[in-house]
Amino acid sequence: MRDIIRILISPLVWLAAFSAVYGLHGLICGHGIDGEAFGLPLPRLLLVAAYAAAILVQLPILWALYSPRFASPSPFVRFVSRATGWVGLVATVWSLLPVVMTSYCG
Amino acid sequence: MNALQRHRRLTEIWASDPGFRGWFSTVNHTDLGRMFLATAFFFFIVGGILSMLIRAQLATPHSAFAGPEIYNQIFTMHGTIMMFLFAIPTFEGLAIYLLPKILGTRDLAFPRLTAYGFWCYVFGGTMLLVSMLLGIAPDGGWFMYPPLSGPLFSPGINTDFWLIGITFVEISAIAAAVELTVSILKYRAPGMSLDKMPIFAWYALVTALMILTGFPPLILGSVLLELERAFGLPFFQVDLGGDSLLWQHLFWLFGHPEVYIIFLPAAGVISTVLPVMCRTTLLGYGWIVAAAVALAFLSFGLWVHHMFTTGIPHMGLAFFSAASTLVAVPTGVQIFAWIGTMWKGRPELHLPMLHILGFFFTFVIGGLTGVMVAVVPFDWQAHDTAFITAHLHYVLFGGFVFPIFAGIYYWLPHFTGRKRFFRLGELAFGLIFAGFHVTFLAMHWVGLLGQRRRIPTYAPEDGWTTINLISSVGSFVLTIGIAVLLIDVILHVLTAVRGRRNPWNAGTLEWAMMTPAPAYNFASLPHVTSREPVAEDPELCVALARGQGYLGEPRHGWRETLTVDIASGTPDYHVIYPANTRLPILMSAVTGVFFLSLLLKFYWTIPVAMIGVAILAWRWVWGLGLKEDIPPQGIGRGQEVPHAASVARSPGWWGTTFLLTANATFFGSLLFGFAFLWTVAPGWPPPEWLAPSALELGIGLAGIVAAPIAARLARRSQAPLPFLAIAGAGILAIGAVCAALMLRTPDPTGHAYGATLLVLGGYGLFHAALAALMVAFLAARVRRGFVSPLRRAELPIVGLWIDYLATIALLILLAGHLPGLLS
Repeated sequence: MRDIIRILISPLVWLAAFSAVYGLHGLICGHGIDGEAFGLPLPRLLLVAAYAAAILVQLPILWALYSPRFASPSPFVRFVSRATGWVGLVATVWSLLPVVMTSYCG
Repeated sequence: MNALQRHRRLTEIWASDPGFRGWFSTVNHTDLGRMFLATAFFFFIVGGILSMLIRAQLATPHSAFAGPEIYNQIFTMHGTIMMFLFAIPTFEGLAIYLLPKILGTRDLAFPRLTAYGFWCYVFGGTMLLVSMLLGIAPDGGWFMYPPLSGPLFSPGINTDFWLIGITFVEISAIAAAVELTVSILKYRAPGMSLDKMPIFAWYALVTALMILTGFPPLILGSVLLELERAFGLPFFQVDLGGDSLLWQHLFWLFGHPEVYIIFLPAAGVISTVLPVMCRTTLLGYGWIVAAAVALAFLSFGLWVHHMFTTGIPHMGLAFFSAASTLVAVPTGVQIFAWIGTMWKGRPELHLPMLHILGFFFTFVIGGLTGVMVAVVPFDWQAHDTAFITAHLHYVLFGGFVFPIFAGIYYWLPHFTGRKRFFRLGELAFGLIFAGFHVTFLAMHWVGLLGQRRRIPTYAPEDGWTTINLISSVGSFVLTIGIAVLLIDVILHVLTAVRGRRNPWNAGTLEWAMMTPAPAYNFASLPHVTSREPVAEDPELCVALARGQGYLGEPRHGWRETLTVDIASGTPDYHVIYPANTRLPILMSAVTGVFFLSLLLKFYWTIPVAMIGVAILAWRWVWGLGLKEDIPPQGIGRGQEVPHAASVARSPGWWGTTFLLTANATFFGSLLFGFAFLWTVAPGWPPPEWLAPSALELGIGLAGIVAAPIAARLARRSQAPLPFLAIAGAGILAIGAVCAALMLRTPDPTGHAYGATLLVLGGYGLFHAALAALMVAFLAARVRRGFVSPLRRAELPIVGLWIDYLATIALLILLAGHLPGLLS
């Protein structure tokens, strides 16, 4: 079961992060959260922070999938889990990129 | 014992009952797989006839062929049948038939569950067909958007048939998904580690996991909409705190993964058949596995791309647009791996290969138009036009029907033991390919010219007449092609001559047995050392028939097999299957009474049906028990393994784990719905919150803490009964507070808030009742001597349900009482 988890963990974290950021976006727009912090609009700041957090969670997972301590003893599972690890990271960076690109409640 | 004696003895043990009554009592995966496939193709024919009626209607302007009411029923039933009664059951049927054979085992994990799922599918599908024959079929489109499908705009019974019939059929999908997941992970030939699994098994595993997490949102949506229609709980009525967009979210949370649930098994067929047709091995096995996993996950991040025109803020649209473009990457990886496989091999243009080429041509076009509609501004123009209808047919026909036809022709010699005699298949392929592209290329065109989907007619001055006529002619050519294909298959089954085993010289294990397959699959189980064991050892079939593998000596009349460790494939434990029984068909019939009672609003029979299901479920599980310890069993090749009843993680534990995964997705979707309504729906906050109660919270929390702890102690104790009593008391406490939540919730017909709390409380109460029944069952088993220090497999299974109950109860209490406390 650990090998299955190694294969699934990164995309699973992406799915959770993607849903969480979409939910946060819904909360911000639905409840009209506004204001400023550090000279930036608070909604943008919250979304960018969530985006950064999502990437920061993916990075150590990918590192773990490469480290001898956590990687699978099976070469096949090592390969597939690293590939899906990259999928999780790239999907996080790409699919949540709109938080820095587009208007948030327009 | 020689090979023939072994065959006779094993057939005696494993065969279904003879004759017609065997259909109703069989639990054999080969029989049930065939029955699934035959039923699915029956529905395919019905859906195809409906599509002819649609094209007949649209062939000319101002057509009087069918009135709008009937036309609405026709296109709704066409979509519904093709998606729910053909595509998914075809995957289930193929996987049920094939998986134990390619995995090198004797049956699936839960044979009676296979049969139960099949009969639920038959009864649910029949319910929908009857509605059509009576002229009261669903008519709100296959995605049933409220408010059109709500009580105000669809007051008849038509929509109820869809909501209840489809939910009934989806029991079958969930049952099959649990079954397939456990079977692929645990029921493989010894030595078959994850890297040696046939590629089709990987695809089936990914698909089954997707069904477990993709179908529950739709089941929830159907339950909520039916509650709105039957009892006036306003989940989708904006003026009462509901929101029709909630349905769209729930539907497409299912609906988009559904596209990949349909495509991935077909891709599994391609990945299996293509290398054989090209006389080589699959290029990039690891890459393909990673791509399938990536595709499965990414498909859950695309659902809003069906909702680009609903007014969602730009950033929300951009998330899903980005994810939608990303999904082309793993799809591309698979396509390039298949092209590479053809490049490195020597392709031979047999009939399955023709259909694979048809798949390539068609699916790539469908994929490219998919990328087009993933771009928001283009989607705004094309949304709800015939362009979308054409796109989805390119994806589904190209991505599913062509590969399935390839698979049928590839495995037909296996199904029948015969070789092709008539050569109608090539003609059929030509007609299907040409007919399909004429029909749907034209439909792209007319869509871009502005023809809306689902319109019953149009005027000559719209300028669509010629294109529609061409499209209709193409569709009739397509139908003739499919008819020729079916005739070809029927002629093959009835009249072709005996063929040789393994006519394609394939390397996977399904060809290491006689054809048609015997009821027991393998006389002895193989030890696998490569991904293509038959290619490695062409004499494997003979060796297995001689009993030189595992479990080669039939004993005690047992239907026995082995499980393996998930990663390494080393033998794990010994399993004895139950025998033929009519229990599955009986239980699905009683389940049908439950759904029929809901449909016809005979509410007094609902509790009767529920009690009937509970009694049959009790009987079902009771029959599995043993009153004496079975020592570790010799499995051949000098090895011994423990029996499944004596391990902590038995097949039942695995099945429960995956069933609870689906259940948790259902509950998570309900919480999402609550949060969505609270955040997005107009008409919030509600007029009044539930008054928080310290007493209820205290009782509930005591139950939440006591029940799981007592269940754990029962597992460790030599005398579990007192702990089971404490667990039972904790469960009753949880049930009581859930019932109190239902009773005290603000008027559930007055606002979606009260309605949601009612459903949350009902969900908790149902699970408390279920857990109480399980604890009572377990206590009865302990008292009757079915549980001993060596036979404790049932305790962890009930423990899983109690843990789940405690978790959901905590969340229900928080969702129910916290808003009142905070306000």
